[in-house]
Amino acid sequence: MRMLAVFCKGERLRHIGHLDLMRAMQRALRRSGLPVGYSKGFNPHILLTFASALSTGAWGRREIMDVTLEEEVSPDEFLAAMNAALPEDLRVLSARAIDDRHPALMAMVTAAEYTLTLTDTDTANALCACKDGFLGQEAIVTPRKTKSGVKDCDVKPLILELAMAGTQVRAKLCLTESTSCKPDMLLNAWCAYAGRPVPRYLVCRESLWGTDGEGRLQMLETL
Amino acid sequence: MFDQKIEAMIEQVQKPARYTGGEMNTAIKPWEAAEVRFAFCFPDTYEVAMSHLGMKILYGVINQQPWALCERVCMPWVDMKALMEKEGVPLFSLETRTPLNRFDVVGFTLQYEMSYSNILAMLKLGGIPLHTAERSDTDPIVCVGGPCAFNPEPLADFVDAVMIGDGEEMIVEFIAAVRAWKKSGEPREACLRRLAKIPGVYVPSFYEVTYHDDGTIASFTPTQPEAPATVRKRLVLDMDKAYYPTEIPVPYTEIVHDRIMLEIMRGCTRGCRFCEAGILYRPVRERSLERLMELARALEKSTGYEEISLSSLSSGDYTCLPELIRALMKEFREKRVSVSLPSLRIDSVLKDSLEETQQVKKSSLTFAPEAGTQRLRDVINKGVTEQDLVEKVTDAFQGGWSSVKLYFMIGLPTETYEDLDGIGHLAQVVNRAYFTVPKDQRARGLRVTCSASSFVPKPFTPFQWEPQDTQQQIKDKQAYLREVLRRIKGVNFNWHEPELSYLEACFSRGDRRLGKVLERAVEKGCILDGWSEQFRFDTWMDAFRECGLDPEWYAYRRRDKNEILPWDFIDAGVTKAFLWREKEKAERGEITPDCRQGCQGCGLRRFEGVCQG
Repeated sequence: MRMLAVFCKGERLRHIGHLDLMRAMQRALRRSGLPVGYSKGFNPHILLTFASALSTGAWGRREIMDVTLEEEVSPDEFLAAMNAALPEDLRVLSARAIDDRHPALMAMVTAAEYTLTLTDTDTANALCACKDGFLGQEAIVTPRKTKSGVKDCDVKPLILELAMAGTQVRAKLCLTESTSCKPDMLLNAWCAYAGRPVPRYLVCRESLWGTDGEGRLQMLETL
Repeated sequence: MFDQKIEAMIEQVQKPARYTGGEMNTAIKPWEAAEVRFAFCFPDTYEVAMSHLGMKILYGVINQQPWALCERVCMPWVDMKALMEKEGVPLFSLETRTPLNRFDVVGFTLQYEMSYSNILAMLKLGGIPLHTAERSDTDPIVCVGGPCAFNPEPLADFVDAVMIGDGEEMIVEFIAAVRAWKKSGEPREACLRRLAKIPGVYVPSFYEVTYHDDGTIASFTPTQPEAPATVRKRLVLDMDKAYYPTEIPVPYTEIVHDRIMLEIMRGCTRGCRFCEAGILYRPVRERSLERLMELARALEKSTGYEEISLSSLSSGDYTCLPELIRALMKEFREKRVSVSLPSLRIDSVLKDSLEETQQVKKSSLTFAPEAGTQRLRDVINKGVTEQDLVEKVTDAFQGGWSSVKLYFMIGLPTETYEDLDGIGHLAQVVNRAYFTVPKDQRARGLRVTCSASSFVPKPFTPFQWEPQDTQQQIKDKQAYLREVLRRIKGVNFNWHEPELSYLEACFSRGDRRLGKVLERAVEKGCILDGWSEQFRFDTWMDAFRECGLDPEWYAYRRRDKNEILPWDFIDAGVTKAFLWREKEKAERGEITPDCRQGCQGCGLRRFEGVCQG
């Protein structure tokens, strides 16, 4: 069976990279005593995938993983066993059994919502003041780092929602396997527009989103 | 929420996860409720620290006391250190980011001499006065332990107390004494008096050393009634009853040894004459198979680790090794835990164990002939023959291994170029053994790695009186060996920087005058010397010069039989008379059998009920 679980990667662990986090989760699965499924082949590994890799430096409030289990386990049992096996800064918040034919979560992600906490109030005020102008541009062109080098990219269609309160930016940004706008791209473009240097900021990925049958954005965990 | 200043620093450095803590099984005990707060300091980076078994044992044993807490502190990398200095942020613990100088006790483990500069750097960064004499009643008690504590003299100026020998019982007595002292409200010196009374504890400031004109020690005398003339090492006799952690921190990032380490026994009976650990950890004390299985089960459950390694000086000598390995395999096969066997000796009976190991995982095999000829192996009492090596590697090649590591030492006493040719000969022999196995029965891609470290004479060994080869001699020998081994197919050659071994030789047999050099070198920026890209040999030499001390006198000088050695005040269990006898036998090329086959009179019988023989 497959279990879709929502977990929190705590702020303290924000510097733990994706692969290290995967390994920590695999070890927690081993500690949990749950009937975890392994891949076949020469080097069997635990059947675990994350819906989306979270960048080093960011923490995540509702990250999503997909675990294959060899026997039926109830979501409550899963939740209890995992939380007993996880350190304080990693918590499973909810779990739900999904069908074996459920599509791969990675392919379902279309957007992510972030909170970006700026450490500089003046910049925050400046950004807030020019928000409408920034969004009203015909195109929002910002450099994007790719494997083949730095390319200019128009992120305007990728900014789905943008709000600001105090020093916090709340943004829903496009995130698919082919096109996405990362929080740093948004802030680089916005600060450039405001004519200010990019301040230090903390990234929290609040939630992951997918698209339902009617093309509406929904929380991925509900799809 | 953590301090944003520290958060901002962590964002700017390499490998930020070194500084963030929060790993599984790391205790966070309430600060205010603890009567003694202990900072366990490892004088190297996080990845090295977290691979160290002793820290896991002591961290566990202190946190087990309801009235004490222990947190971990590691040496920051150069980038982080520079930022801390710039921002005025003191060195902090991983668990709660508490500055080092707020702890009651700050304890360093001494695993190798080249970490001493890090100790001074960590004290400075932690806001603790460097010299014992400068510390006030509110400064932490600074202590050290571990193998290099058997000659703690180069650190005498900086260390309040030294724990000599097995730590798991002594450290509890130590912190209990600090607890009682804190309650008493007495001044700092009273604490040191309490500590000096604990068996195994040495308080350097309670001793006076005088020197002859030639620089050798004239006298080494206690100046306080609490300070014993001889400090005898502590021994834990019953390994089954001794504390061993069942929950150990599981790091997020990759560390050097990322696995469960099961200490199957302590000590070694072989008596290799170059080996300090072989003397310091005498006598052999084994854990029972039942206890080990119980620990393995608990550790697997609490960590989720995929690998268990057996840890000891000579795992092949563990009495029930095949039974243990079989039992571990059987128990953990289903859980997909692999069992690896480090520090294998080629004369161990483990053919069937090897066959079982490969069921789970096949790694490279390590053999340590140490010297190239039988003559030199007899001198160092490494009871291994060429035939042993051939048989064992042939077994391994037949069993499907194709990667073999051979460890050697160069610069051993009495060594000649014939002995170096012998190293080439052994590499050749291993190469031939591989090709005697039919092609369809052996794994492809023979890899023989020959590592030659440079011999460093160590305290409490029969070679403690010997000069080290000069750097030039070592360089010549390395160049020669490189030529010899280059001609053999499939052989890789590794060697160590002679400069590092030279400094190691100075400090391993150094006296308390070297404290000045250490301090000077750290002032000049020497830190993390164990990392070749950070090691600044010339700066170290400048520090020696500026302090008016000659490193050659420490490294290259042959000591006289009657000389008072800086560590003579320590009773490591083995007598000086035994060591001298062994030195003379070495010169005659006479071997001393394993003491399991009969007592060799090393002196440990003086401890009641310690020897099995």
